[in-house]
Amino acid sequence: MAVAGLKARMAAFLKLPEEKLKDDVLLTDLVTESFILVEMVIELQDDLGIQLMQDDLKPVRTVGDLVRVIDSKGSSR
Amino acid sequence: MPDPLTENEQWILSFYRTSEINGALFFGRLARAMKPGPIQRDMTKHFADESQHAWYWTECINRMGAEPLKLSQAYQDKYLEAAGIPANIMEVLALTQTFEKRVIAQYARHSRIVDLQPEVLDTFNKIIDDEKWHIEWVGKALKSMEGEYGRDTIAESLERYRKVDEEVYGAILKEHEQRVAELMRGRGNHAEGKGPWPWPV
Ligand SMILES: [Fe+2]
Ligand SMILES: [Fe+2]
Repeated sequence: MAVAGLKARMAAFLKLPEEKLKDDVLLTDLVTESFILVEMVIELQDDLGIQLMQDDLKPVRTVGDLVRVIDSKGSSR
Repeated sequence: MPDPLTENEQWILSFYRTSEINGALFFGRLARAMKPGPIQRDMTKHFADESQHAWYWTECINRMGAEPLKLSQAYQDKYLEAAGIPANIMEVLALTQTFEKRVIAQYARHSRIVDLQPEVLDTFNKIIDDEKWHIEWVGKALKSMEGEYGRDTIAESLERYRKVDEEVYGAILKEHEQRVAELMRGRGNHAEGKGPWPWPV
């Protein structure tokens, strides 16, 4: 189930325009340090009521990868 | 006026200070990212403690007539590199638990150097109870997460980070072998002879 507005949530967290979050953009290119991604992922889990594990995130490199992983977990809200 | 710090002592105390600052920044950011509840509360206290410890070390170094060195290397980063970025709060806490256990063991070890300066001993004594509480609250929080994540998954995460800790610790020991040996020789008799060096927070 696709999570509605996921990129908009990510863009809001990263304080970036949503157009910058193209599927093939590397997540690490969007932030100055990787810990920002940890904060974002934790916040997304809280907001969406989903649970991600390190194994889920291992293959994640790009915006599109992260969207796919989160979509595959669905959302309870 | 206390005995002046040796170069190695100045380095190690500065190293503690930097590590406490890194810890504070880590927990502060997590505390900010968390939803309200007991874990958010304890995480905020943990953040406050590590900030306070950074101040204690700064003050300690100053009291001994020196300035803290600016050290850029953050050993927490080595943990993150080796362990991978934690994906959720449970994994963050499992990593924290491993790290805090290492810290307390090394602070305790350093504080047993026989002729340690009173300023340094005093600083350890001010910090050690907080560090015990860090392990305690994180342990309780992990227990409370068993329903959500599963006891086995939590145990696996703890085991993974324990292995990472051994790896990173071993690598750092190697990197600073010389300095460590001198530090332990420096003020004479280490209570346990040639033990590993004090580890950062
Ligand atoms: Fe500390
Ligand atoms: Fe601590």
